[in-house]
Amino acid sequence: MQNLLKILLRYSNFLVFIALEVAAFMLITFNNAYPRSSIFSTANSVVAWQHEVVSDICGYFSLRSQNELLAEENVALRNQISTLDSVAETSMMHYASAKVVQMTTDELNNYITINRGSKDGIRRGQGVRNSEGVVGIVRTVGQNYSVVLPIISTRSNLSCRFAKNDYLGTLKWDGKDSRFAQLADIAAHMVVNPGDTIVTSGLSPVFPEGIPVGIVENSVLKEGDSYYTIRIRLQTNFKRLKYVEVVQNAHQQELEELTDGLD
Amino acid sequence: MDWTKQIGRYVLVMVLQVLLFNQLQLWGICHPYIYVLCLLMMPITLPHSMDMLLGAAAGLVMDICCNSLGIHTAACILLMFIRPYLLGLIVNDKDRLNEQISLRAVGMEAFAKYVVILVLVHHLTVFLLAAWSWSHIGFVLLETLVSSIFTISLIIAYNMLRYR
Repeated sequence: MQNLLKILLRYSNFLVFIALEVAAFMLITFNNAYPRSSIFSTANSVVAWQHEVVSDICGYFSLRSQNELLAEENVALRNQISTLDSVAETSMMHYASAKVVQMTTDELNNYITINRGSKDGIRRGQGVRNSEGVVGIVRTVGQNYSVVLPIISTRSNLSCRFAKNDYLGTLKWDGKDSRFAQLADIAAHMVVNPGDTIVTSGLSPVFPEGIPVGIVENSVLKEGDSYYTIRIRLQTNFKRLKYVEVVQNAHQQELEELTDGLD
Repeated sequence: MDWTKQIGRYVLVMVLQVLLFNQLQLWGICHPYIYVLCLLMMPITLPHSMDMLLGAAAGLVMDICCNSLGIHTAACILLMFIRPYLLGLIVNDKDRLNEQISLRAVGMEAFAKYVVILVLVHHLTVFLLAAWSWSHIGFVLLETLVSSIFTISLIIAYNMLRYR
């Protein structure tokens, strides 16, 4: 017994080290699997508020370009009103506008913090878009702020389809350039031309059908491969993202409960 | 060593880290983590386990600021764990170190070795854990190299100015 105590005392520093590292790795795996704890992220009000002050100050320097964007969006919206065809579907979707408080674009796992939280009806899993196209999916929700996992993250998967023939694929990101993403699961028999438009599939309750995602930049079919490697030029310019809209599907909870029951 | 001074420096460095260095967008490969300066310059008089606990706390604060729960915590604990062993290897004459490692006390060569090794270990751990797979290993190594050069230069410059 005394010997055991001696050994424990002698290696106590090493044991403390192992215990602390185990705790840290539990945090990492927990965060990778269930990224819900808003206190330990930038959805935390104190950290987000600090970023908001910075972004408010920097915001003055891009007012002109933001105005141009808003004007463009106005025109596009007016055009949409005149061509609204399915009123039923749009009434199911609500949009909540939000401001980007903080974001990264050049890491492997990027994230965006927005200034809307559970108080404003934001829930985990809701889609986020802006006037140009798809932005990402809400990942962590705090009371006043939320963190969005953008499509330019190596952990992101987005179901998309070709606008021309409804052929389905999955959008992924290789971690290199925030302007381009990759479309997987497009079989070799399909004809892919540069310039083809990719839109959201509407197969999940996260996004309505037909939100712009990107345009085919180039496609490669290697000898012996049964799937294309397709490079997509994203519609959304992440480098100048300032305002976004959160898509709130009135039936999302019901749809998710239905599919959860299948497992 | 004056602890209020240590804490004051930590707060200042964290503000710089979050508001300035985390916003750097240098080709997407330069993410310097200058806050390790505070861990490297910490007094060496504390018990080893206390060192590691303080490292864990500093890492956790950084994680909360970067949405990377656990990654900086793990890297800082590792850094604080190997620090005393590394000091023992590099500095032969322990008497020259009184409370804190400084450029003047140990000389440029030993000090540079100390900073370079610890910063490389810390940055490599952070980027490897952030990638969470071996498939981006080339990118991770490049990122570690570029970011470490940045951090090491800043830490050594700080010490040259501060402890001339």
